[in-house]
Amino acid sequence: MITIALPKGRTLQATLERFASAGLSPEEDFASTRKLIVAARGVPARFLLLKDPDVPLYVERGAADLGVCGLDHVLESGADLLVPLDLGFGTCRLCLSAPRDSAVARGWRSGESGAERGRSLRVATKYPRLTARTFARRGVPVDLVPLSGSVELAAVADLADAIVDLVETGRTLKENGLVVIEEILQVSARLVVNRASYRLKLEQLLPVLERVGGPA
Amino acid sequence: MALARVFEERGFAEVIPPSIESAEVFAQGAGSGAEALRAVDRNGHLLALRADFTAQVARIAATRLSGVSPLRLYYRGSVVREAAAASGVPRERLQAGCELVGEADAGADAEMVALAAASLLALGIPAGASRIAVGTVGYFSALIAAAGASPRLARALTDAIDRKDLPGLTLLCTREVAPGKARDALLMLAQPPRRQAEASALLSRASDLAPGEAASAALQRLSSALELLQARDLGAELEVDLGEVRGLGYYTGLVFNLYTAGAPRAVGGGGRYDTLLGRFGDPRPAVGFSLDLDALVPLARPA
Repeated sequence: MITIALPKGRTLQATLERFASAGLSPEEDFASTRKLIVAARGVPARFLLLKDPDVPLYVERGAADLGVCGLDHVLESGADLLVPLDLGFGTCRLCLSAPRDSAVARGWRSGESGAERGRSLRVATKYPRLTARTFARRGVPVDLVPLSGSVELAAVADLADAIVDLVETGRTLKENGLVVIEEILQVSARLVVNRASYRLKLEQLLPVLERVGGPA
Repeated sequence: MALARVFEERGFAEVIPPSIESAEVFAQGAGSGAEALRAVDRNGHLLALRADFTAQVARIAATRLSGVSPLRLYYRGSVVREAAAASGVPRERLQAGCELVGEADAGADAEMVALAAASLLALGIPAGASRIAVGTVGYFSALIAAAGASPRLARALTDAIDRKDLPGLTLLCTREVAPGKARDALLMLAQPPRRQAEASALLSRASDLAPGEAASAALQRLSSALELLQARDLGAELEVDLGEVRGLGYYTGLVFNLYTAGAPRAVGGGGRYDTLLGRFGDPRPAVGFSLDLDALVPLARPA
């Protein structure tokens, strides 16, 4: 029996297609059922439907043998996982952004943090760990403002000087008067595997890995 | 304790290291000692709670037991390490393990892998529920040396190989490692493990790509140990994984990790550390392993 953690976010459809090509499909359509755990059709496997950021922990702790989630969540979780495949979809960028014409937007490239004198740069984000690490590497003190959504608003409403968030098309940023200052991470969907499952269920997992990886 | 009986039947004697000692002893151990819980005593000496038995046993073997060869020692007790916050891993964990000092041959490597497997059975883990992933640090170190990798690059490569991150490893290698045998061999290290029966193809490919004496010797040595193990009924299946590169900083040769159904991470592991005793003034080869009893005891079949 293998247990697969699926991300319920925007990459769900592409993820299901990849597993289908490996002969693994849920017995019931997740779009029409309220069940969060569904058996696979005809093979000893089952699917769990999770919020994307929860996938790494389910897999690290062995509640799922493998799963799919964005590299952003893999790194933010700090989970101890194997990451053998880049699935190539769900691509976007994790970026530091700030209001156009703000001190941050003007000063960042020349080495100025743009923080007000005597204060650390206030950065709002859903990714406190990745953000803290990025700023620590640069040696810039940061005042983290952890939020759970609508992060752009924080910079516009003066809760923060800048934000660290995913940018896909850049439209949300643009419509809220923000510009990208620096790209922090290239994100795409990754297949993650539990360390013990990878060894103990090698024979079951290898064919799945091979086919889910696709022609990439 | 069934485990102690198995150790003693095989000629191992118990050693009881102190629970607190100079932090320096652990400096090369788990996470270069960064994980040890440390404090300064009133004389300004930096002390640490025991973070790793092997370093302590090496110190004892190299000082008080210097000259006694070979030495077969076992220990049991707790280690204290700073685990990542919210990782679910408690700071204090119960361990038991064995160290064999003064034997440099593949026979000693095989003896310790076999003893680790026997220990799992003695703890009540059913035969067939465990797998042992065996690799060698020697091959990877030789590749790093041949590629002329800086310490920073070596760390990045170790991390990518340890996470089987083939896309990340490929990117690193294309950007920072000169084309050649060493690079091809590095890329191979993120490949999936092979069961022992199918391992010979993997090993011969690795051998073809070996960039020098040291790399070939490491593989040769691994093959000899595997051959010796093949003859035994371990009660656990062996997998060969040349990407088994993580672990304590002092390993120099064969390394192995134990996985048991029901535990989400390795339940034990070990390897050869031929330079650690030298740090305490008595250069002698050694090989050993430890078991995570907190993880294993709940998995034991009720007697």
